[in-house]
Amino acid sequence: MTAAAMGSGRAAATASRMRARRFGYWGLGWLGVAVAAAVWQLVSVQMHSSIFPTFAASAKRSWDLVDGPVLHQDLIPSILRTLAGFAISAVIGIVVGMVTGYYRAAREWTSAVFDFLRSLPTPLLIPVALVLFGLGGRMVVAVIVTAAVWPVLINTANATAGLEPTLVDTARVLGLRGRSFMWRLVLPAVSPEIFAGLRVAISVSLAVMVVAEILGGGSGIGYFISSAQQSFKITDSWAGVVALCLLGWAFDSLFLLAERRLLAWQRGTVGGEQHG
Amino acid sequence: MADPVLTLDHLGVTLRGRDGSVTEVTADVSLEVAPREFVSIVGPSGSGKTTLLKAASGLRDPTVGAVRFAGSPVEGVPSGISVVFQEYNKSLFPWLSIGKNVAMGARRLAPPARAEHVRDALHKVGLDGFASRYPWELSGGMQQRAALARALVSDPQLLMMDEPFASVDALTRGHLEDVVADLWERSSFAALMVTHDVGEAVYLSDRVLVLSARPSRVLAEITIDLPRPRTQSHTRQLPRFVELEAQVLERVEEAGRMAVGID
Repeated sequence: MTAAAMGSGRAAATASRMRARRFGYWGLGWLGVAVAAAVWQLVSVQMHSSIFPTFAASAKRSWDLVDGPVLHQDLIPSILRTLAGFAISAVIGIVVGMVTGYYRAAREWTSAVFDFLRSLPTPLLIPVALVLFGLGGRMVVAVIVTAAVWPVLINTANATAGLEPTLVDTARVLGLRGRSFMWRLVLPAVSPEIFAGLRVAISVSLAVMVVAEILGGGSGIGYFISSAQQSFKITDSWAGVVALCLLGWAFDSLFLLAERRLLAWQRGTVGGEQHG
Repeated sequence: MADPVLTLDHLGVTLRGRDGSVTEVTADVSLEVAPREFVSIVGPSGSGKTTLLKAASGLRDPTVGAVRFAGSPVEGVPSGISVVFQEYNKSLFPWLSIGKNVAMGARRLAPPARAEHVRDALHKVGLDGFASRYPWELSGGMQQRAALARALVSDPQLLMMDEPFASVDALTRGHLEDVVADLWERSSFAALMVTHDVGEAVYLSDRVLVLSARPSRVLAEITIDLPRPRTQSHTRQLPRFVELEAQVLERVEEAGRMAVGID
């Protein structure tokens, strides 16, 4: 066998091993879910308590939610609010993060204000948002933005401030200025850190959406859970929790898929083997 | 001598640290680079060679003195100047393929002409067939050749190089020197290279300037009258090469002694 053939044979073996490992994790992940569901089922059957329905009952009820009017009344509004809040946070966080990260003066002007705003507990802002926007979707979206913008903004600003000087010099030599500098150099250069921030932001968006809906959504999955609780429809509220978990998992999976595609170039530069 | 493509007129750079400290890096440097000329700047480490190159290219404003490129004062990097940096791995954009990296150098051209220029530039540096690869898939020497292709695709009047071969192994270095020498001989750009490798400066240049330790001035100017084309195996054996190399080295050592104050 030639050295090249051996090399490619080894590469193929490594690739198949990696595939096997990935499948292994994936398989184990589902096994974990099954075990957790089984534990829930066993414990709830044993307890036989009205406030702790069985897994089977909760899961069946959450399927009813997706299949019934709750889908349009509560589930879809919640998804749209989360996505809107997340998208607005992403745009504001990326743009403001790049500008404050790149221009030192902008960073110094804003740092104290940002630190102050960032440390405000989000639930505290809900009454204010209720006054400004009233009950409903707009209020929920606004509250999501006040919380989800920070991980994106801070990550983007830090990465931009720490841009490799040689990269910046190269861009200037290539004639990248103003918007094309931001768009063609800064944005791709800091995209790994932006993605890390966005991933935090999506889970923050989901959590804040629920809290805001419980306190004043008027509709939505959070509103559904809390009103089910108040009217002692315990199985309903657990079903809402299951639906919410599935939603979070779906968002995160879609997000990782997008990240893997958009940051494919990074595979070779981080962690992977570097050619000398 | 034809009108110089680059003129540094009593250039001085003083750096101010964040703690308020002030370092005079470049005291007083005047030099001219003629069209098609290959000039190298050598000096002891810490003599502010990189700072000088940044001021000459328009990446940094000089504290005193003036820079003129093709007759006009330099404000920002003029489009006729290309720069190759030492750290190719920090200078190539890792998110772009080699072909797209090179195309960044040809942004001013219309798309059809651009594709042709990119192909041509990759061919000249011996990277045919690598356009769709990413920088990390290439060896160090190949990455620096890609950076060279990106610098030359815009057909610059002046190519500046900051220690361009310092980050590769000795064999690759000799090969890269010949790639640059060959490109320079076949094209019409002038070159200004900063290096600490005296042999390399003599091998490639028409003229070598020796900088003193910081704050730096031009300590010596040595004309390299070796015949061209030059080859590693032949040129470096010539008695004249050895003589010139010793002459430059002597001045560099002198500069180094001045720096530590033995003299």
